[in-house]
Amino acid sequence: MSGNTMKSFIEATKNQTAVRCHGVTKTYGQGKAAVQALRGVDLEIRTGELLMLVGPSGCGKTTLISVLAGLLQRDGGDCSVLDHDYKQMSFNETTRFRGRNIGFVFQTFDLIPALTAAENVATPLLINGVKWPAALEKAGAVLKVVGFDDRMIHSLPTDLSGGQQQRVAVARAMVHDPRMIVCDEPTSALDSESGHMVMSLMRQFALGKDRVLVVVTHDTRIFEFADRIARMEDGRITRIENPPSRGNVPLNNP
Amino acid sequence: MNLIALKMLLGDFTKYAGLLFGIAFTSFLVTFAVSYFGGMMTRSFALIAENPRADVWVMDPAVVAVDSVINLPAADLSRVRSVEGVQSAVPLAVAQADARFPNGRFQSFQVIGVDDATLIGVPPMSGGATAAVLRAPDAVIVDAGGTSGKLETPLLKADQWPRGRPHLDVPMRLLIAGDELLVNDTRVQVAGQSEALPRFPPRPILFTTYSTAEHILLPERRRLTFVLVTTVPGVDAHTLAARIEEATDLRARASDDFKTDTVKWMLANSEDVGDAVTMLSIAMLVGFGVTGVMMFMFTNENLKYYAVLNAMGATTRSLLIMICSQAALCALLGTGLGLGLCVLAGQVFVNYGFPFRMMWFAPVVGGTAVLLVSIGAAAFSGRSVLKMQPASFLAGR
Ligand SMILES: Nc1ncnc2c1ncn2[C@@H]1O[C@H](COP(=O)(O)OP(=O)(O)OP(=O)(O)O)[C@@H](O)[C@H]1O
Ligand SMILES: [Mg+2]
Repeated sequence: MSGNTMKSFIEATKNQTAVRCHGVTKTYGQGKAAVQALRGVDLEIRTGELLMLVGPSGCGKTTLISVLAGLLQRDGGDCSVLDHDYKQMSFNETTRFRGRNIGFVFQTFDLIPALTAAENVATPLLINGVKWPAALEKAGAVLKVVGFDDRMIHSLPTDLSGGQQQRVAVARAMVHDPRMIVCDEPTSALDSESGHMVMSLMRQFALGKDRVLVVVTHDTRIFEFADRIARMEDGRITRIENPPSRGNVPLNNP
Repeated sequence: MNLIALKMLLGDFTKYAGLLFGIAFTSFLVTFAVSYFGGMMTRSFALIAENPRADVWVMDPAVVAVDSVINLPAADLSRVRSVEGVQSAVPLAVAQADARFPNGRFQSFQVIGVDDATLIGVPPMSGGATAAVLRAPDAVIVDAGGTSGKLETPLLKADQWPRGRPHLDVPMRLLIAGDELLVNDTRVQVAGQSEALPRFPPRPILFTTYSTAEHILLPERRRLTFVLVTTVPGVDAHTLAARIEEATDLRARASDDFKTDTVKWMLANSEDVGDAVTMLSIAMLVGFGVTGVMMFMFTNENLKYYAVLNAMGATTRSLLIMICSQAALCALLGTGLGLGLCVLAGQVFVNYGFPFRMMWFAPVVGGTAVLLVSIGAAAFSGRSVLKMQPASFLAGR
């Protein structure tokens, strides 16, 4: 590799870093009751990557993705997410940043029970100021992508199975084309088949060259969908591994 | 976003119904209490309302309300008559007397003595009779005056004018023309029943002529209570009242002013005002309780979804607006329901002869109460949204 190509390679990889964290700490509570959830996390996540975060219960996985998503303010260390540092932003700026750039998939789906599947999916668009008809149309289209038919699109969450609800949640997380999607145990409430379906949908449709997916999981059945697996222990990232086998899932969609 | 809020609200029917109930209850109770009070106040000036031909009421300078009675010397009538602009002036005697019923029971009455010549001041009579029945000697017209069961006399001859103890628990009927009562040991002849406006406070009334009143009431130097003045056409009642005051040093009030005086006096002096205020406070408190708790429960149960919305980028401000629009919808519908209910209940109430008058300010007061209740409830639940930690909901914690 010549000096020149080396330089451009560095430039290129620099822009390809979605998350860059160094020495991030977070402590809950004060005094005797204080719990040090993050004890200096160093982590880089490249764009176009699906990173899984695994580790024993209580090691700080949820805390870490909350910090990455701008839901929690870190105590110390440096962290830039999509070229933004939450510490430099106001509370409302952070909220609006999340609305535009981050998608969420929660463990318990957390669909709003009074809204139909389409309306649930439309909420991130509505939050970003899209008008109802346009938002519902886009939501319907995305739901079709995750395999919903017309009837299911207008069903209430209670009328959908767990797998279907999580597909709605996935559709909701990606309907507004966020650059980063964070998922906390997205498959733990699902059977193996639904879990597979949800993960492959996310890989296929939510991951692009400039996108990044961070998935917290205990579920070894879905490790194969990861590009890299970060092991966490006691508030630190201890190891970064490659997944056991990639199966036949494409790395990036074109 | 607000559509989402409303859908969330309507989606939880039990709480929505509870909220609506709380607010409807508040608006109903407050409006009802105010209307009931309005009805009572209206009845307090029934005597004035009953005499539409009296444009100006003349009285002792110390009198402030139609119920606080101080009499005038008889000569004042002619002094009033001589004031320019007075077309006619008739006397009205108002007094209190106990009447003995044929079974021996005593009953307190208001005695109203009207001008012998014109009989102005006798209300319409039941059974097609006219005020002319008062021209018979010692004739009186009885009126329930908003009371019930106070005009009953024994059905059987045997129970009438008994020797010894009164016959109280015997078959009874209403007084009719031809019955006799004793007022201050003077026998009076019931000449019929009238349909006077119900009074507040309620009291049975004996209408009679001025001269009969003088005859049956205990002798007093002064009997004349009010002089009822009709103005010459084209003369303003307020102007004439001022002129009469000027000329006679008596108090003269245009009838609408006198009504206002009476209500003000009632507000300042009646214990029932306190009762109404208590009722209002209870209504507001219950409303606050039910609505506040329901709204708080609703928001609290949905806190998780507000957190999710916040995580997805909804600002605190838009979440608060969502909560306010939920409260606003409930307030609007609840007020409507409550007012509708109040109108219906008022109808029934009026049919049963209770005081009820929904004046313009009753719904306004009801609406204001609801506004306060809803703002309180919204603030209460808004607080929990402000305090929530979106991150802690992430993992379903
Ligand atoms: N809001 C909080 N207040 C106090 N302590 C907290 C709070 N949230 C988390 N913790 C503590 O911080 C530590 C890390 O929690 P975190 O939820 O990040 O772990 P986790 O790896 O996601 O665990 P799990 O696999 O059980 O979800 C735990 O010891 C937890 O008890
Ligand atoms: Mg967790």
